[in-house]
Amino acid sequence: MTTRDKDKEALSALMDGESQELELRRSLDSVEDDDALRAWWSRQQQVSEILQSQRSSQTGVDVSARVRSTLASQPQFQRNPLWSMAIAASVTLAVVMGGQALLPTAELTPAPLVSDIGGAVVPVIGAQPIRASFDARPVPISTQPPQGQGTVARQTAVAYERLARDRYLRLGAQHARAAALNHPAPFVHSMRAQTDSPLEVQDSK
Amino acid sequence: MSRSLLKILALGVLCGALIVRPMLASAETPLCELASPAEQALGRVLASPSDFSFEGTLLLERADGREFLAVKWPEPTGGGSLRRMNTAADPVVEPWPAPAGSPDRICDVLRLYSPSLDKGRIIAGRETDRLTLSPRDSLRLLHRINIDRATGMALAMATAGPDGQMLERYEYAEIRYGARLAADIEPAEATRHDRDRVVVPGFFLILEEPDGGVFVVSDGLATATVFVEPLPIGAPGGEGAVIKGATLTYTRGVPGTGGGLLISVLGEVPLVTARLLADAVRPPKGAE
Repeated sequence: MTTRDKDKEALSALMDGESQELELRRSLDSVEDDDALRAWWSRQQQVSEILQSQRSSQTGVDVSARVRSTLASQPQFQRNPLWSMAIAASVTLAVVMGGQALLPTAELTPAPLVSDIGGAVVPVIGAQPIRASFDARPVPISTQPPQGQGTVARQTAVAYERLARDRYLRLGAQHARAAALNHPAPFVHSMRAQTDSPLEVQDSK
Repeated sequence: MSRSLLKILALGVLCGALIVRPMLASAETPLCELASPAEQALGRVLASPSDFSFEGTLLLERADGREFLAVKWPEPTGGGSLRRMNTAADPVVEPWPAPAGSPDRICDVLRLYSPSLDKGRIIAGRETDRLTLSPRDSLRLLHRINIDRATGMALAMATAGPDGQMLERYEYAEIRYGARLAADIEPAEATRHDRDRVVVPGFFLILEEPDGGVFVVSDGLATATVFVEPLPIGAPGGEGAVIKGATLTYTRGVPGTGGGLLISVLGEVPLVTARLLADAVRPPKGAE
């Protein structure tokens, strides 16, 4: 049995809740260094979640935060039943829009974001310009590459870009109906409201 | 400065106001003075298309290509209608709403955009003036509108990004006007500018559904809608954005102890504005 086979066995045990702590630590180290193994585990996770009927991937599973973050940021994660269901659900949190005060409150401390800008203070000057496009396309989020997070940050950024595309397709019509009231030519927005039917979300990369 | 001179100046301002206001071709009376020709042109275009009945065809260019539309205003049932002429046969008649009526609106737009007017080209066989609305800050996009000199209709309009590159535009190929509509015609729907609820500089809250997690803000011209949903526990924080035509979609995931928030901002606004709007979202006190 090769080392990779042992790692797979250990990860399978982990998913079954039968892993040994020392072996788990070694396997997690291997996952971090081995893209193929990480991809394999990601697929196993997805299959497991589907079979378990939308159970949370974190439920009853104690994996390192870094590995968990890596798994969650795989490009396929939007197909995760739980994630999709959460997005499509009409149940939302009661929230308020804060006027003028732009800093987040103490109750909600944003976790570090993938860009260098983060969620706490957003500089007004220096944002990337938006260029014309004849197709929906990603907008550069940061002028600098993510610092210190490398592949994980890039994967998360790609995932959120895909999520933005999905949100446009799902929510664009609702926005267009509101925007039509303030446009000199309301039909421009009204046309959007009925044109942009949901399409398959495409990976922009 | 002598008292007589002050009286003359005050009289001049009063006369100016009395002369300029009736020049507006709108049933609404704006709450601010429209002194320059550019400001008056803006007043006219914001009143249209509610002033005249019309039918026409136009070309709309945006992210996913070109579309020919046939539009009509008003319909007996209220609002306008459009048909997509690219459709092979029997295009469906689709409704569009009357523009919002608000005497505050033009004043808001004038505070946030700098209008300039010059001679425009002939569009759909009609003479136009070109109104350029340049944003006074970096939170808005630039708009160029070709206004029918006779009716005030926006016969062409282009929206450009912060770097000046065009994002989308439309232009009438032909237009036929009907009768001038009664001055007391009511807009089909009015938006409420809640001036006490400035979310981002210049953007007022015009619609709020806190329980549904939907907020709509506008500066009188640009509109952005903020959607808030729960972020699945364990999902990483992050942000992403895509643009289609002039519509930017920005998403941000903010993990929190209660599961976090997934904030989506859709609007004809620059990225920086979308980010500021996302910053303005927070759970109510005690929700955590």
